Amino acid sequence: MIQNFLSMNGYGLFVWGSFAITFIACGLLYYKTFKTLKKYERDFAKEINELSSKRKKIVIENSKIASQVLSSFSKTI
Amino acid sequence: MFKILNLSNIFNWIEKLIAFINSIFFILLLVALSFALIFSPPDYLQGDSVRIMYVHVPSAWIGLASFSSIAILSIAHFIFKIKNIKLITKSIAPIGLMFTCLALVTGSIWGQPTWGTWWAWDARITSMLILALFYIGFISTHKFISDENKANKFSSIIAIIGLINIPIIKYSVDWWNTLHQPASIKLTGESSIHSSMLMPLLLMFFVLILYCALIFLMKYKTEIIRIKKKNLKRL
Repeated sequence: MIQNFLSMNGYGLFVWGSFAITFIACGLLYYKTFKTLKKYERDFAKEINELSSKRKKIVIENSKIASQVLSSFSKTI
Repeated sequence: MFKILNLSNIFNWIEKLIAFINSIFFILLLVALSFALIFSPPDYLQGDSVRIMYVHVPSAWIGLASFSSIAILSIAHFIFKIKNIKLITKSIAPIGLMFTCLALVTGSIWGQPTWGTWWAWDARITSMLILALFYIGFISTHKFISDENKANKFSSIIAIIGLINIPIIKYSVDWWNTLHQPASIKLTGESSIHSSMLMPLLLMFFVLILYCALIFLMKYKTEIIRIKKKNLKRL
């Protein structure tokens, strides 16, 4: 039964190949997108952390996004 | 109303949506794959090779829908000059390109057992290949033109010209004699696909749409952070 399922009546290579290519491509795009997002978050948080404490306070007060990225970044480290 | 469109609010929503999609995605994927690979019946003519349809057709739909949205949003960008629109189109383009390429590759794999050839310069396949080239052109303008305004202008022009190709793809199977079969699913009129195959197909489409939404949100979030990082000195 399992062999029948895997062979797909002789079309196994085509069917499994198509699904494999689709999911590998989706996985790779997800990995690349996730990695780029984390890199930008890390760089942004790093840049805020490098500011003087007075400037950092102004940035956090003026930008919700900056404070969110900073808090999520500090959670991950 | 416009408070909702504020980048900070959008950013907040993005985080929530990403968490929600992540929580349901794998369960839905498992259900869709079970239907596509196990529960749906083989075709009376094509046998089990018809299962390739469950990745090929949603990929083609997503490729077409993504480019149509990019083109329509580019027209809106020309008229209203809203910068946010360009962030959206930039985030959609890589997803559309990947699914267009997937439609071409899985179509080619399906073509071998069905038509006896991996590739034919058939109207549908060729117009899909042209769509992929439009996507590459659109993405390249943002990669290789450093002046953002210029890049936005050129990419919008490419998207608007590329819009002409969308009805050509859709009606190519009716206008020319092609190896590719005509549409089995019609929005108006009766579809020629049985519900036992239509249901898994729509389920796979829904799962892949969720995946697209996830990638889009992550890319959009990256774009927002990139802009905020650039403007950090101004704050």
